[in-house]
Amino acid sequence: MEWLVENRDPVVRLDRTFWSVTALLGVLALAAVLWWALAPIRAIMPEAVDKAYQIDTLFRFLAASGTALFVYVCGYLIYFSIAFRKRASDPPDKIGVQIHDSHSLEFSWTLIPTIFVVIMAIFSIRIWYGIEFAPPNTLVVEALGHQWDYSFRYPGVNGEVAEMHLPVGQPVTLHVSSYDVIHSFWVPDMRLKADMVPGLINTLDFTPTKPGKYSIVCTEFCGTLHGDMRSGTSNDKAYLYVDPPDRYQTWYRQTQLAQAHAGNTIAVASTSGVNLAGGDAGAGKQLFAQKCSACHAIGPFDQKVVGPGLKGVLHDPAHPNLVNGQPATPANVSKILQNGFSGPMGRMPNQTQNAISDKDIANLVAYLNSLK
Amino acid sequence: MAVAAVHSGGIADHIHPEPQGFLRKYVFSIDHKIIGIQYMITAGLFMIMAGMLAELIRVQLMKANGGFMTPDTYNQVYSIHGSTMVWLVIIPMLTGAFGNLIFPVQIGARDVAFPWLNMISFWLFPPAGLMLYSSFLMGAPAAGWTEYPPMSLQGVAGTSMWCAAIFLVGVSSTMTGINFLVTILKMRAPGMTFTRMPLFVWGQFVTAPLLMIATTALGAALAALFVQREFGVPFFDPTKGGSPLLWQHMFWFYSHPAVYIMILPAFGMISEILPTFARKPIFGYKMIAFSSSAIAILGFMVWAHHMFTSGMAPYLQLPFMVLTMLIAIPTGIKIFSWITTLWGGVIHFDSPMLFAIGFLATFTLGGITGVFLAAVPFDLHAHGTYFIVAHLHYVLVGGSLMGILAGLHFWYPKMTGRLMNEKWGKWSFWLFFIGFNGTFLPMHWLGMWGMPRRVAVYDPQFLFWNQVASIFSFVMTLAMILVIVNVLWSIRNGKRSGPNPWRARTLEWQIPSPMPYYNFKHVPSVFGNPYDFGEPLPYRGLEEELTDSPPPIPVAAH
Repeated sequence: MEWLVENRDPVVRLDRTFWSVTALLGVLALAAVLWWALAPIRAIMPEAVDKAYQIDTLFRFLAASGTALFVYVCGYLIYFSIAFRKRASDPPDKIGVQIHDSHSLEFSWTLIPTIFVVIMAIFSIRIWYGIEFAPPNTLVVEALGHQWDYSFRYPGVNGEVAEMHLPVGQPVTLHVSSYDVIHSFWVPDMRLKADMVPGLINTLDFTPTKPGKYSIVCTEFCGTLHGDMRSGTSNDKAYLYVDPPDRYQTWYRQTQLAQAHAGNTIAVASTSGVNLAGGDAGAGKQLFAQKCSACHAIGPFDQKVVGPGLKGVLHDPAHPNLVNGQPATPANVSKILQNGFSGPMGRMPNQTQNAISDKDIANLVAYLNSLK
Repeated sequence: MAVAAVHSGGIADHIHPEPQGFLRKYVFSIDHKIIGIQYMITAGLFMIMAGMLAELIRVQLMKANGGFMTPDTYNQVYSIHGSTMVWLVIIPMLTGAFGNLIFPVQIGARDVAFPWLNMISFWLFPPAGLMLYSSFLMGAPAAGWTEYPPMSLQGVAGTSMWCAAIFLVGVSSTMTGINFLVTILKMRAPGMTFTRMPLFVWGQFVTAPLLMIATTALGAALAALFVQREFGVPFFDPTKGGSPLLWQHMFWFYSHPAVYIMILPAFGMISEILPTFARKPIFGYKMIAFSSSAIAILGFMVWAHHMFTSGMAPYLQLPFMVLTMLIAIPTGIKIFSWITTLWGGVIHFDSPMLFAIGFLATFTLGGITGVFLAAVPFDLHAHGTYFIVAHLHYVLVGGSLMGILAGLHFWYPKMTGRLMNEKWGKWSFWLFFIGFNGTFLPMHWLGMWGMPRRVAVYDPQFLFWNQVASIFSFVMTLAMILVIVNVLWSIRNGKRSGPNPWRARTLEWQIPSPMPYYNFKHVPSVFGNPYDFGEPLPYRGLEEELTDSPPPIPVAAH
């Protein structure tokens, strides 16, 4: 480093004022560090997920060191400006101390920021590891951006829902994407965001830790009503609800039921139902083999041919609701046989297409009812 | 032989005859000083336009539910505000205007290497600006200065005009970069080694390759966007095999180096002003020069830190984060060196110095928040919020614009032969400093609390601090009006400055103000660095510059 130094400078001695100011700035910097260490961040903005606490910790570190540095820079700036101002008594051609550089000083103020950057990088990378990678067995949820609101998709729920619910304590993997332009999924109380880019799936991993209702905000400009793409506006009513697990389960079951219909078109139900009285299970079994077994097996629900397995459809509590979201009762089953079904889950011919009479329907329902 | 020429009434030298007609002298001039002033006037006019757009933004945000403008108009206004400030104000001011005006004289040259190229560079710039503003007639671009597709693909017709206008500015910048680089490499006066160059020349020297190399990436991106918009070639359409992220990579590959294009020349200005007004050599000359080079090189390797939330391979985030943090080291070296320059000085608080000291405070804050944003986990919270708006205005207004204002007050005598009004200069500094901080400081916490950027309406909980910001922005506007009035008033009424009112030691101050067409009667020789106050000037051959001896005789006259 010798080549950096021009060895013709006067020797400099720093006076007591300089060291006093340095000490005073040290006290102020320390106060700033303490303030950032103790700042009531959580009281101002709840930490809704585990990552929020980690990010806040990093922020405290950055803010504390940044403020300390700023205190020193501005402190010296003000002190030097006052102490070394040109005084009225100075001759007009008075010049300052003609020093050009200092090996040790420049070396130290290269080294100190370097050490600081290394510490900051290590700290950031550690937290980054915690944020970027998910534990196994997460609940996978999808969030989709539209101009100008959000929708969400859950495993086992048909279609898209307008609100986001998550159970507290459950690790979540959120996949985000977009229907049109780039949006962003940001929950300020989560301290996390991911851009919703059409054609790309971005991921956030986190575990909700605090039940509550949180705003979702779009931070990527997305057109005319970008400013309204936040929870609670007339345009966008999507909030994130973090619920206790039982409340979440209730919401999930209700949503699953309510959504089963979504997007499915069922022919207008006949006004008069079929008289199911006197159905003959034996005749029904024969008819099933002719008319139904091409698509349905007599087996558990997930033994799919085209449609689901139908063993125990009317009795097995593990058997889910019918394709139209209605609970499995003889009357509801007969309605599907009458009207058929068509929707995202598939299609089934109706009574006319299948060429079955009302009596046949009664027999088929009796047969299905006999399977336990 | 030169001596003989002096005695015979003039100096024969390879210079072109001074043009006489108004058109050749002031409009299609090839004189770097006239071109510099042309840039300054044009960029100044665009700054007034973009400043008014900024006030429209602040008026709209006085109310949480807007209402002053429709959201569509608001989106156009802030998009044109950003595009203008970046491409038509800050970059041309720092390179085209102050670069052209000052650095060729500082290296002892008579002009830049390619005067005609210089003229073409300038004359691409006003039409590009007019094209940008004409887009208001057909619906201006409304997706911000970054114009991310697919949003910009939905945008109205003006977006294509925006592509063409910015492309033209880019061509102009590229040519300026080549011109300045060759000039500095080939046209320094005898004895002007790299370590004797004034630091403003160093600023231009490291900026020129950025202009030259990075702008080409922007040109390619703009061409692709234009072609997709007009001819449907799906560069950015994921349903047809394109990718929206392609734009972001290409755009930021330019626009991050552009951030340094917008600050490195300002660093150079500050490095000239601080020693002059502290009557003291710049501290750590070599480290300041080398740290500028380090920033320019690192600046090419960090672009994706603008895209931490956009979607990229997680492991790719780490190198971009660490390289970005590294930039804090050369920047820190500069700030510490500048502050140490003040120590032991005899500080004259003339208005250029006030702006330079203001720069140190505000730029430091902008630099610190920049390091925050480099940390990926923090950026996941702050990206796309008003925290970004605060950070970028602290570096671009508190840094670049403050540097430009310092340079304007400092070098104004070299353009006009007169000083700017000192009292108004001090007033405009304090109004600007207070107005600026009052406007942009609250935006830090607005962003942290959850206010996204680029919104025409916002959550009412943010109302108070937005109103504070708006009110202080009016103070900042008042300061800018005062600066403009001062500039215009001082052309005729300013105190006569003489050649060297600040007793500075770089070459431009050793020749008359305003600077003559040929710059130097004799090209000087350089024997030392320019900051040794109290010693004889390190130049030879300047004896006749301030005398009545006749100017050099152009080649054509023989």
